[in-house]
Amino acid sequence: MKNPILKNLSRYLAVFKISFHHEFAYRVSFVMWRVRNIIQIFVVFFLWDTVFSTQGRVIFGYDRSRMLTYVFGLIIVRALVLSTKVVDVAGHVSRGELSNYLVRPINYFKYWFTRDLSSKFLNISFAGVETLILYIILRPPFFIQTNPISIVGFLVSIVLAMLIFFLLLFIVSSVPFWAPEMGWGAHFLVTVIVVEFLSGALFPLDILPQSLQSILSYTPFPYLIFFPLQVYLGKVSTIVLLRGILVSSVWVILLWFAMKSVWRRGLKAYQAYGR
Amino acid sequence: MRKKNDKTNEMLEEKAIIIEHLTKNFEATVKKKGLSGSVTSLFSPKKKTIRALKDITFQLERGELVGFIGPNGAGKTTTLKILSGLLYPTAGFIQVLGFDPWNRSPEFLKQISLVMGQKNQLWWDLPAIDTFELNRAIYEIPNKRYEKVLDELVSLLEVKKLLNIQVRKLSLGQRMRLELIAALLHEPKVLFLDEPTIGLDVVAQQKMRDFIYDYNRRHKATILLTSHNMDDLANLTKRVVVIDKGEILFNGELKELIGQFAKEKLITLYLSKQADIKKFEEIGEIKKLEFPQVVLSVPREITAVASAELLQHFPIADLTIEEESIESIIRRVFKGEKVRQSKGR
Repeated sequence: MKNPILKNLSRYLAVFKISFHHEFAYRVSFVMWRVRNIIQIFVVFFLWDTVFSTQGRVIFGYDRSRMLTYVFGLIIVRALVLSTKVVDVAGHVSRGELSNYLVRPINYFKYWFTRDLSSKFLNISFAGVETLILYIILRPPFFIQTNPISIVGFLVSIVLAMLIFFLLLFIVSSVPFWAPEMGWGAHFLVTVIVVEFLSGALFPLDILPQSLQSILSYTPFPYLIFFPLQVYLGKVSTIVLLRGILVSSVWVILLWFAMKSVWRRGLKAYQAYGR
Repeated sequence: MRKKNDKTNEMLEEKAIIIEHLTKNFEATVKKKGLSGSVTSLFSPKKKTIRALKDITFQLERGELVGFIGPNGAGKTTTLKILSGLLYPTAGFIQVLGFDPWNRSPEFLKQISLVMGQKNQLWWDLPAIDTFELNRAIYEIPNKRYEKVLDELVSLLEVKKLLNIQVRKLSLGQRMRLELIAALLHEPKVLFLDEPTIGLDVVAQQKMRDFIYDYNRRHKATILLTSHNMDDLANLTKRVVVIDKGEILFNGELKELIGQFAKEKLITLYLSKQADIKKFEEIGEIKKLEFPQVVLSVPREITAVASAELLQHFPIADLTIEEESIESIIRRVFKGEKVRQSKGR
């Protein structure tokens, strides 16, 4: 255990473990959250299933099997990208619970990233089972990607999506440093409005007008859900794939520096409330 | 030249905590009443600077246990938060174990602990033992050491049966003891205790005090303790630092504070017959009157004369002269009564 990297790893492994335990302390709320996800999938599934009820119909470049695969892919990609614990950070800042972490020799970002990973791990395990069950019930035509480039591209874009979402939320969570009562509002704006609508979590973004799509392609949002799924479905050329990975990588770097700078200033303004 | 530097370094080494001319200002938004006030403050926020600490200076030797006292809002907690690296100081110099707390380097954080009465690090939904395990990993405590320290703390604080119960199901007193264990597992050399006995019953308070006293002696730990509890101070600390409105009012032995402050003595007497109360008022201030007991407060200088007078003119069965209790002196200090000290230390 003399290796410093190994030591550090065991530290975050402990965080991973306790975070995992913690999820089980809220069994009911976790199950409800998963149920909500399934119901959402049902609704979206039947909506598109109806739209595509005519044989051989193609809308916005989607045939029935690709659209239904998109919907199914949402379960997995949502679980990987959008399941997070970082929503608690704003509360930590405004209620002063952040203090408990700052006085301990642990990196706050890595701490939360580890907690996110543990939450994602749990969610993806459930999402896998759910997908299987839904697949058996609904028996949708499912598009299975076999091209290795698309599969690798999909995995890379998922990792980038997780980083983008993590960094976005961390930046938003710094709002209460200056305005303690605005933490929730800021989160609502980002997670509910912006992310749900602009990421492709509700509908594939290519049904939007072309001009809007090209504007969106410069923002980080489509790279959260829409882009990884497009890659999986094989709907993008290699050029577009590389461009997308480049744009989202640039966003990861930009957001990383933004997050660092915002938090450095935030911590100076921190008042460690709560007493 | 070289030698001199070494020497000053050595001297600095002996000090666990150095605070020089520390100032901390907070920016606060002033809100007017009601909805319209909230709206106005949203668009044109009025900022007000609150001066929480105004140029404070004091030091702690290694292994010292010092009481840090003052009324609410005096700046005690702010000072502790700056010393543990939570708050960024506006101006001044601070050093804890040779580190600048604000850098929050892991080597520094591994040697300190901040225990705040109502702030908890225990995971609310999990048994305390899970948090302890997490801290073992975070502080990189070797397994054997961890087992030993945990065993010791668990038996000293008598919490063996509580370790595997969800924290949310415990009482405040039980939780506080477990919080203390979480804060001490890494055997910190410097301990900041903010109101460690708040909300505890008398028995639990005593246990906590015994424990703090013991910990200070056995680990030669430097402890800075804030408290509203007179017993904490009287039983635990030799030296006290009194702070009010962000300024240090007194820094020295608790005894000295009492000597300076106790300008009066208490005469308690038992009457053998009813007597004219008004006449007592000519001699001293009546603190308590419950026939047959009367307690009078008189200036120190005239204690002898006053008691002679009393014995001569009143039907007295018994008479005793006492110093004012530590508790009531500190209570007066808390109320903000002026203490002035030629700037020492």
